[in-house]
Amino acid sequence: MHEVTLAENILSIALETAEKNHAAKVFKVGLTLGELAGVEVEALTLAFDVLKEDTPAKDAELVIKRVPISATCNKCGKTFQLERYNFFCPNCDGVLILQSGRELLVDFVDCD
Amino acid sequence: MEVKLMRNILDSNDEIAAFNRETFAACGVVVMNLMGSPGSGKTTLLEKTLARLVDKIKIAVIEGDLFTAKDAERIERLGVDVIQINTAGGCHLDAAMIQKACTSLDLDVISLLIVENVGNLVCPAEFDIGENFKAVVLSITEGDDKPLKYPLIFKESEVVLLNKVDLLPFTNFNLQSAREDLTTLHPTIKIFETSCTKGTGLDDWAAWLLGKAAH
Repeated sequence: MHEVTLAENILSIALETAEKNHAAKVFKVGLTLGELAGVEVEALTLAFDVLKEDTPAKDAELVIKRVPISATCNKCGKTFQLERYNFFCPNCDGVLILQSGRELLVDFVDCD
Repeated sequence: MEVKLMRNILDSNDEIAAFNRETFAACGVVVMNLMGSPGSGKTTLLEKTLARLVDKIKIAVIEGDLFTAKDAERIERLGVDVIQINTAGGCHLDAAMIQKACTSLDLDVISLLIVENVGNLVCPAEFDIGENFKAVVLSITEGDDKPLKYPLIFKESEVVLLNKVDLLPFTNFNLQSAREDLTTLHPTIKIFETSCTKGTGLDDWAAWLLGKAAH
């Protein structure tokens, strides 16, 4: 449900960026979302599509890149991509420290 | 034109959270963000916890609730200062709500501030409110599959309370597999097993929390 809050923030970042760059229209908004971030992409897109009406971003589409969960061992230093949320090192008895997968970023705004 | 940003979607929230965190540190307040599903027993657990700690340290509570003041009224009966935040349907508390609520609290005299978040295993985990640590309540009746179904909240929480353990004989909740899932997801997570009807584990939990507040 917090996708509405996220969509509001994304829209306001996009509109602010367009205004700063003297652009009249927003075409695309690029997002990077980690796999561990609690985001339902369908709900996010729906909320964004409702909120963007009557704004310079009314035709804007979201371009979403998902980032897998990766973590580095605190002992052997190796980095692994996780699939089953297992934060024990498969290589030694160390513990994996999260490196990526929590991202909630606006990468770029395509506007003119 | 393509404008490169790499900007955090939640940066407006995170800035206020950072401000809250500095304010709490300057006033010497330790803040716990208490999360969990509706009906997991957060408020009852809070009542039992407060009963064990009110004589020892000065505590205040912020209650997040969609519409009612029912939980706040329960806390107030214990003689603890409580601020009610109604989110009017909003599924989580954010940093600005906490900042505003704190203007009604005398932070200089408080040692421990407990924020009971809106009942929800998803959204509250994503919003930093400026707390020192997060705690999540998982009750036995919710099922042992929840840690891997809602990994973020268990990854973000320093401590988990497996609550209503008195109901274990009546459910298929597998305590060992829940503990294994929690530990593989978050190797340093602290786990307490509690029951508010039987009093199980509450003294240990309260002692641990007191230790955190004294730090």
